[in-house]
Amino acid sequence: MKSLERVLGPERYLRIRNTSVLMVGAGGIGCELLKNLILCGFGTIHAVDLDTITLSNLNRQFLFRQKDIDQSKSLTVVKAVQNFNYNDCKLEGHHGNIMDTEKFPIEWWDQFSYIFNALDNLEARRYVNKMALFLRKPLMESGTTGFDGQIQPIFPYVTECFECQPKVTPKTYPVCTIRSTPSQPIHCITWAKEFLYHQLFDELEDKTQDQRRQLESETLDRQEIDNLLRESNELAELRRMVLEPGSQFAQELIHKIFQVDIERLVNIESLWRTRKVPEPLDLLELQHELDALLQEPRSQTILVKDTSTWTLLENLYVLIRALESLQKRISSGEESCVPFDKDDEDSLNFVVAAANLRSVVFHIDPKTKFDIKQIAGNIIPAIATTNAIISGFLVLASLPFYDQEPRSRGDFGPVPQTSSTVFTSIRPNKYVTAAALSQPSPLCPACSLSARGILHVSQKDAPTLGQLVEIIKKKYGYEDIALILGKAKLIYDVDFDDNVDRSVLEVAGFVSGELLQVQDDNDELENLEFYISLGDKNELPELVLRQKVKEKEKVKENEENGTGELNNGALEPVEIIDDEVEEPPTKRQKILDIID
Amino acid sequence: MATQLRLRSAKILVINLGAVGTEVVKNLVLGGINSLEILDDSSVVEDDFLSQFFLPNENVVGKLKLPLVIDRIKDLNNRVNLSINTHNISESILSEGYLSKFDLVIATELKKDEMIQLNKVTRKLNIPLYVSGVHGMLGYIFTDLIKHESTSEKDLGNQPRETGTKLSPSKTITKVELNLTKDKELVTVSDEFVELQHFFVSKNLPTQLNRRQMKRLSAAFPLIFSLFECKKEQLENMKTEEIVALLRDTSNRICDLFGIPQTVVTDLSIGAVLQQAYTEFTPSAAILGGALAQDVIQFLSGKESPINNCLILDAFRSEISIYVL
Repeated sequence: MKSLERVLGPERYLRIRNTSVLMVGAGGIGCELLKNLILCGFGTIHAVDLDTITLSNLNRQFLFRQKDIDQSKSLTVVKAVQNFNYNDCKLEGHHGNIMDTEKFPIEWWDQFSYIFNALDNLEARRYVNKMALFLRKPLMESGTTGFDGQIQPIFPYVTECFECQPKVTPKTYPVCTIRSTPSQPIHCITWAKEFLYHQLFDELEDKTQDQRRQLESETLDRQEIDNLLRESNELAELRRMVLEPGSQFAQELIHKIFQVDIERLVNIESLWRTRKVPEPLDLLELQHELDALLQEPRSQTILVKDTSTWTLLENLYVLIRALESLQKRISSGEESCVPFDKDDEDSLNFVVAAANLRSVVFHIDPKTKFDIKQIAGNIIPAIATTNAIISGFLVLASLPFYDQEPRSRGDFGPVPQTSSTVFTSIRPNKYVTAAALSQPSPLCPACSLSARGILHVSQKDAPTLGQLVEIIKKKYGYEDIALILGKAKLIYDVDFDDNVDRSVLEVAGFVSGELLQVQDDNDELENLEFYISLGDKNELPELVLRQKVKEKEKVKENEENGTGELNNGALEPVEIIDDEVEEPPTKRQKILDIID
Repeated sequence: MATQLRLRSAKILVINLGAVGTEVVKNLVLGGINSLEILDDSSVVEDDFLSQFFLPNENVVGKLKLPLVIDRIKDLNNRVNLSINTHNISESILSEGYLSKFDLVIATELKKDEMIQLNKVTRKLNIPLYVSGVHGMLGYIFTDLIKHESTSEKDLGNQPRETGTKLSPSKTITKVELNLTKDKELVTVSDEFVELQHFFVSKNLPTQLNRRQMKRLSAAFPLIFSLFECKKEQLENMKTEEIVALLRDTSNRICDLFGIPQTVVTDLSIGAVLQQAYTEFTPSAAILGGALAQDVIQFLSGKESPINNCLILDAFRSEISIYVL
């Protein structure tokens, strides 16, 4: 017997050899995970990623080399691992967005026995979670920040899904702190990136009104509000100068934001009663030395000194160089705007230098380019070893699923009860903590509100909308239903039967990959969400619907849980408050009101 | 950045490039260590292809291992000074002249007497030592870092931390500096280590674990220590029933020695370890190699307090416990 067969057990070994799994994300965790999957002998492995390789990936994503920069991550990993594909696993890389329903229709997803998430963003995670719910396939979720990492096996409708626990949104700061009274490096970095850089080089929407309203909600200081609005208007002027090559754009900008604006701020005395007064830069005094620095070719090396703190002059130098470079890119017409990207040297240099100069003005310690890159990129540095540890657990935790013969869809046998979520927690007496999986949350916006399944519709022999309504009612036991296509398009209810005689294929928007929601008019049974798949058969998924948890009970539960929030952002449309109605409005009402 | 500097000056020796060795080397080379030497005199065997991913994907069984992998390791990060040594391991680990060239030694897959001998030399030379190995779903990391101080910034707790507090029998807070403006404390922890030979006769477990914890102890602990008493070559020539009897007998002795209830080692766990003993398995090796490399980096930077002193991985239970032996 081969050793791998011995460790895994002969039956499990065979199942793993003959199965097909999906890995979403081929970055830090993905590289490690793919190595583990291959060396455990998984028969077929598909890897999907939409990113290309950047320089900053190389020090922790061990499958990538210098020569791979700008190449597709997914296509590169599947090639790189051939070096040690000792088990002859079949590998397929897909360069693309996992949320692309044309490239990755639900039938494609259905070929996999397990889905492994190695993603770094919430939106894609939510989408993959939803696919797992539709298909009732096990999903292994993972994430790391710094020394912290976690894995969570998800068995749809049996254990907690990705959305059962509300996710923390990134911290925001009051506008006034950012714009008038910063006291920490993060305030200056946020100002440089979100405000200044955005105003000058990013795509702009007109938000003057919003701005005033937000400011008014934060401060009563008229003088401060007017001053901040004036600053913004003047910046808009400067933005126009970006398009004029040869203009004194850089000099004027620096003069305005680090001298004129600050002098004005100093004059608003109400701001400085308990704070240290900022000190405007005296550019005239610095001009001579700055010119010398600008003329010296060797000054270029400052730009790559990313682990030492730049001096005031060095920051000015970097800012001017970044401004010139950005102006060139935009005025040449190559790019209409340059959104901030931590991996774009010009935009990063701009933000680092501007944030540091502002720090100097407000008596805050400046930071190194390396540090600001981490902060501005909202990243706690990913640590290769954490990824390695977590990827080991990802594969280990998937193994029990292959202990048993495949069962019917959605039936995971005893595996969910014996599986655990694992997270690193480094203590003197342990390194990780494992916890049993929880039941799905009754308040979960993804898995508690509706049952899910795939609705197969034959392109040759499609039913009329009326027929479809009758089939659905009969199959699942609804008395009356409403059908909503996509986010909010009502296509049928008892009072709206205009389409019943038409084939569903003639209903605009009834296409593969679109979602169709079924709502119970009597509010007894839970909602049903179908993923529409046009093909060569008519078929409805086998599902048993749960009784609806009434809104009132939910509110009660919510209060007990201490969140006090209804539905926790369950549906996109905002809740409509209607004093006339005694019952809380149903979801359908909400959607209908929006359509009207 | 101080971390990077210390990493860039450290000279590290990795003994044996098995599954854990491969993972450790990958992580340290990616992490930007200054110089790394790999000592391994073995030739490639069939089982090496289970997890040693630097090996070429071709039939190289019987060839000396290190020359086959060196280029691929270098390719990960060419700024690391990488060297290989295929000199006899048993001799090298006793050579003071050789070992004194290094700042830190990581030894994997050593036999009990080998690690004790090596440890005698590292102690004499005052070189910190990590030892690690894997048996399928089970694995261990032992540390003898002699004496160490580390300082890291911690969030302010409900109560201020106090100098003199013992975090474990071998970890003591020796200094606390408050940084109220950032709600942080700068905490210095001092770690004391014992020689590895004391591990095998330690009476410390019952003082760390209460009776309930003792009863729920992972069988991985006594079984890993039992395997140190049963050599690989010996097991290879035995029938299954004989191995079961041997493991049962040995684990009973080990349990008594450490004060662990014999019931911890069930027939099921012996059956499982039968399939796992001396077998490499990538996910376990990835976890051990990740934890070990991370600890080495922390150790060199003097930041987080290191593993002290016996880490046991039980992948069946998704558990990694650390005991002070």
